[in-house]
Amino acid sequence: MESLLQQLERFSEVLAVSRTAAVSAWGPAAVRRAVQWARYLRRAHGRLRAALEGRRRAGPRLGAWCGRDVVLSARLLGNRALGAAAHRCLLRLLFPGPAAAPAAPAAPAAAAAPAALQARLARLARRRAAVRLLLRGGPAEDAALRAQAELLRRRLRDGPAGGLLDGLWARAPRAAFLRATAAALLLDPAGPAPAELLRWLLGRADALAALCRALPAARLAALAARHPALRRAYLRQLARWGCRLRYDLPSGRWEAAAPAHVSWAELRGRFLSLARAPPPLKDAALAALEAWSARDGAFRVRGLSVWTDLLLALGPGAAARPAPAAPPRPTV
Amino acid sequence: MAQDSVDFSSHYQFWMQKLSVWEHASTSETQQDTCFHLPRFQEFLRQMYEVLKELNSSTIIERFPTIGQLLAKTCWNPFILAFDESQKILIWCLCCLINKEPQNSEESKLNSWTRGLLSQILSAFRFDTKEVDLFIQSLGYTPEDYCPGLLKNMVLSLVSELRENHLNGFNTQRRMVPEKIRFLSRICIPLVTLPDIEPLVEALLTYHGHETQEVLWPEFFDAVNEAFLLKKIFLPTSAVVCLWLRHLPSLEKATLHLFEKLISSERNFLRRIEYFLKDSLLPEAACHPAIFRIVDEMFRYVLLETDGAPEVLAAIQVFTQCFVEALEKKNKQLKFTLKTYFPYASPSLVMVLLQHPKEIPQELWLQTLKHISEMLREIVEDQTHRSYGGPFECWFLFIHFGGWADIAAEQLVMSETESSEALLWLLAFSYSPRDGSLQRAQTMVELKAVLIHLKKLFRSPTLSAKDLQAVAAESPDRDPRPALCQQLSRRLLLNFLLWAPGGHAIAWEVITLVAPTDEITHEIIGFLDQTLYRWDHLCEDAPRSRKLARELLAELHASSTSPLNVGRGCRDQDP
Repeated sequence: MESLLQQLERFSEVLAVSRTAAVSAWGPAAVRRAVQWARYLRRAHGRLRAALEGRRRAGPRLGAWCGRDVVLSARLLGNRALGAAAHRCLLRLLFPGPAAAPAAPAAPAAAAAPAALQARLARLARRRAAVRLLLRGGPAEDAALRAQAELLRRRLRDGPAGGLLDGLWARAPRAAFLRATAAALLLDPAGPAPAELLRWLLGRADALAALCRALPAARLAALAARHPALRRAYLRQLARWGCRLRYDLPSGRWEAAAPAHVSWAELRGRFLSLARAPPPLKDAALAALEAWSARDGAFRVRGLSVWTDLLLALGPGAAARPAPAAPPRPTV
Repeated sequence: MAQDSVDFSSHYQFWMQKLSVWEHASTSETQQDTCFHLPRFQEFLRQMYEVLKELNSSTIIERFPTIGQLLAKTCWNPFILAFDESQKILIWCLCCLINKEPQNSEESKLNSWTRGLLSQILSAFRFDTKEVDLFIQSLGYTPEDYCPGLLKNMVLSLVSELRENHLNGFNTQRRMVPEKIRFLSRICIPLVTLPDIEPLVEALLTYHGHETQEVLWPEFFDAVNEAFLLKKIFLPTSAVVCLWLRHLPSLEKATLHLFEKLISSERNFLRRIEYFLKDSLLPEAACHPAIFRIVDEMFRYVLLETDGAPEVLAAIQVFTQCFVEALEKKNKQLKFTLKTYFPYASPSLVMVLLQHPKEIPQELWLQTLKHISEMLREIVEDQTHRSYGGPFECWFLFIHFGGWADIAAEQLVMSETESSEALLWLLAFSYSPRDGSLQRAQTMVELKAVLIHLKKLFRSPTLSAKDLQAVAAESPDRDPRPALCQQLSRRLLLNFLLWAPGGHAIAWEVITLVAPTDEITHEIIGFLDQTLYRWDHLCEDAPRSRKLARELLAELHASSTSPLNVGRGCRDQDP
């Protein structure tokens, strides 16, 4: 089985090359070998996976190999650098035509493979058309986010995780990464992947801060409701933001010290969102506000404590029961 | 061949025009038109592939100069790509366009352009922002990995939106507007056989909005029904029932589809009929009275058209049995009275008929049969009150539960006492409902005579075929007996052979004597199959009779010379 894993690694190099201009050096024979490799590995992968059903050892690494034959085919088809002769060979291999229809289940494995790949490529085209049609009914951001979140989880499950998230943080488009992370933490069912993601997030202050900043209030409220550790971290972050606001007496408003800082309006919006959440979260947020306001003297006078003013802004409905644990201390 | 190519050219022009119209306007009318034409267009694509694959690229361009346009417009139409196998056939056609040896820059350009179209079908049209693309790439995945998950989640979102509509009721803010629901039903038409879409189809079918009129496209129901009948989509029964309740033509098509299957299946094989019936989901769906009434009506029509063919009678009987089974399973949930299923029948009669013989101790069968007979007789012979329909209606109701007539025949043969008038009447009525009372009385007299003869022989340990031949054969000194009497006599005789202790020894001999024609052989095969089927369902413990019946059935099947031809019924009487 080790040799199979080695073959998979070598194939991943082929897969990487298939996207680049280096395929201009591939002739029909090279294309044929690549496609045959892909088919062979797919079959082997299928058998291996079935054999390893109960054992977790090589399972995760194998998961990354699903559907690579389709990926290779699509890449080669779209690669302009592929020579004409090689491309024609590719077409013959991928689309043998109706003669290769997988009619009889007793067809020999060699005959079944070309037809199977053809069917899968046709299904991919059909699915793409389906997405296009459904999108005509309106944007599907929620669905897109969940799909990205699922891929993120899959990557965490399939690949070696060490350094993965750090690498993504460094290289991937940040906004997309943060949105997908949040969505992944909100997906059901919970599994090992979200725990890992959470651990990483809580361990990286800059990522956490960026997450709190980038996401809309409602989403963060949902996250905080689901994950108690995140709730605490979020409240700490809110405290940090709040401490940076300064009261401007002439205008009677709380101002941010620098344009990049979180504004009073946004902070209030965050707390409004938390106050609308179900009890455990709502209670914790209000208790924090009360505690911070108390530390500042709890004078019901505007402008002395940002926490007091927030409480007043939340309105009369913001009555909270005292939280069982001490809320995080605000630090400047 | 020449005619074909002329036809093909005119089709080509037709479709070229259609594609242009569809391309330029994307209104609901053009979408509807597109969906309507999808199957035929796919046929055209297939024909085109057959033409193109014989030619080389240059010839193709010569013959069809605008083919590039036609294929391109097809590529850009997601309805066509979404339908069935159209995308696959389109790809095959494009492959034909690739020139093996481009001689000049024109041909090279065409190759390049074709390559572009091919890759476009599989990988163009970015669904998301560039940012998202890069993100997915950074995860090590590709658009091919993303697409299935995206589709799945889009379907899930739509399904939960539709389901929420139930919960939100009149909260108009969160409801999906009717236009969108209608739009979704239109989108689903080409996609109905794609498994990823099935949850959405189900949600649409079971969606009950607050609008007064049907909000889904009728073509949607047609497409779903078609796919369901051809087993290209698998839906839960509740969704199928919703489909049939909302769209009558679908129900009718489904019933006709069932009839076709029953006709083309092997005759006289009740187990298979039961399988087809249950597989069609119609008996279960018929727990809803509206569906039951329509299916029953169609059965009635076929029965009349075939002049009471025994196959149709058997099908009605098995259908009713499956229906009653389904009804009993649902007993806690459904609240329809019997009258909603059988509005033209006397409720007390229906109640008695509905009883399963299994639930009544065997000693009481005679009594039950007498009761049934009396009730039927009262309705049929009552000239003044036609409240429960004439003899035909009565009979039509009775044959739903035709097993009772078979039990009556058995009881008549097996009972030691004098043949009950009530049972004789019942038997005569079940075979010939339209007889006048005089004719029926005559039939009853005939049967009584036969029974007297049979009862004398019942207990003898050894019998000879000759003893029984007289029963079935014509008597030289009397008028030839009507076919009905012969048929009934045969029925009684067969029962005798199965139950009399001395019967099994001479059974085969008697049958060969009594069945000179294929028609009668088939009748006997039908009787044996029906009897075995009934015994199985009653868990009748009669090992000797059962064994005999099986052996006879096997021998008759083996010796049957003409191909088993179904559906001819009594009308087919040519020699």
